[in-house]
Amino acid sequence: MSNWIPLWLHRLSSPPTFYRFAGTLQPWAMTLALLLGAVALYGGLVLAPADYQQGDAYRIIFIHVPSAWMGMFIYAVMGVAGFIALVWRIKLAEVVAMQSAPIGAAFTFITLVTGSLWGKPMWGTWWTWDARLTSELVLLFLFLGVIGLYHAFEDRRQGARAAAFLAIVGVINVPIVHFSVNWWNTLHQGSTVNVFGKSTMSWDMLWPLLTMTLATKCYYAASLFRRVRTDLLDLEGGKDWVRQIAESEADR
Amino acid sequence: MAEHPGVATACAAMLRRDLTLAWRRRGDIAMPVLYALIVTMLFPFALGPEDTLLQRIAGGVILVTVLLAMLLALDAMFSSDIEDGSLEQLVLAPQPLALLLGMKILAHWITTALPLIVIAPLMAAMLHLPGAVIPVLLLALLLATPLLSLLGAVLVALTAGTRRSGMLLALMLLPLCVPAVIFAAGAVAAAQQGLPWLAPIAWLAASLALAVVLAPLACAAALRIALDA
Repeated sequence: MSNWIPLWLHRLSSPPTFYRFAGTLQPWAMTLALLLGAVALYGGLVLAPADYQQGDAYRIIFIHVPSAWMGMFIYAVMGVAGFIALVWRIKLAEVVAMQSAPIGAAFTFITLVTGSLWGKPMWGTWWTWDARLTSELVLLFLFLGVIGLYHAFEDRRQGARAAAFLAIVGVINVPIVHFSVNWWNTLHQGSTVNVFGKSTMSWDMLWPLLTMTLATKCYYAASLFRRVRTDLLDLEGGKDWVRQIAESEADR
Repeated sequence: MAEHPGVATACAAMLRRDLTLAWRRRGDIAMPVLYALIVTMLFPFALGPEDTLLQRIAGGVILVTVLLAMLLALDAMFSSDIEDGSLEQLVLAPQPLALLLGMKILAHWITTALPLIVIAPLMAAMLHLPGAVIPVLLLALLLATPLLSLLGAVLVALTAGTRRSGMLLALMLLPLCVPAVIFAAGAVAAAQQGLPWLAPIAWLAASLALAVVLAPLACAAALRIALDA
């Protein structure tokens, strides 16, 4: 029967196994991220034609849009991992949820910064209270709240569980916030700012964007693996498998 | 096995205990009210005393001021119960924890939010909000403040095990109460412009109905996580 998948997942959730698994995959993910990122940047900055209306300024979307997608994707990962951590009390899920939060906050911050850099020449302002911008800002604050709560506890596992709970509350609230912000914006502002409208993108511009999306996903995996490995060593400090690793490092 | 008092008796006792405790320290009840009045007074100083400007911002200023005043009082929701250990007893009680916490939240709302709603017309008058809009403002506050109490209680329960919780609570709560502020301020603004204001009020009421059911359960779960040291 095909019950090797749950068995394999179950074994993977043990810290030493995941430590080795992540250690094997991490260099590959990082290489792939750098490679894809370089290709996407070349495609986006050199090969793709300039926009007929925005000129070269539009090229910032090759960073901006993948970062925005990653911000939401990582929040979802954090929520799912937090749910697993609370329901099945798996230590690895706690670590994954908590180590995802700073990466997600960084991507959300990059989204906001690149967006405002683009907004200055295009809209003539660094910041406008557009619905999308506001939800992105709320998302950043949710990430920061999770990180803050995690660090407020002295016991790290307890902090991780509390912060995971906050992340789940956020998951329920994010659609409500997004919807209400949309509603608020259309009430006050007659014309909404459409970033792309319904126009389909030309393939010359689309493929670097999709490649960059893959690159950010790979970067997230590599960064997460590295952070989780470090955190697992710290968390499991006194255990045998950590001592073995420390001794083999010392022997080299 | 000993006879347990019924759920209704326990809830009534919980509510009476919290209200009595609050009444014994009446000075604490006055603090958020004074805070809200002083903050409202600062706005004309900062923005100038023109009637039209103050009128336009009045609804939003009152809502945000009430929100901040409630935020200041939220910290105290469980703190004394944690210090004397009665919160642990509550967790061990045979009655459902969510219901008992719901009563605590209700008591907290009565002692902090209700006085703020009572003085809201005074704050509205300070900012020259037209008299016709005040009923809408009160209705919006009546629906939005329990929502904030319920949401806040979940987050206070989460921080119950930590030392420094004041600023952290603000960082966690304020992004989550964006919808409440939008809908309440939207209703007031619509009423001020003579537009129909029922839709945002209905959204507020719907969110409140959702929160009344879910928040006590979430609060109980959060408290179990925070006390599980």
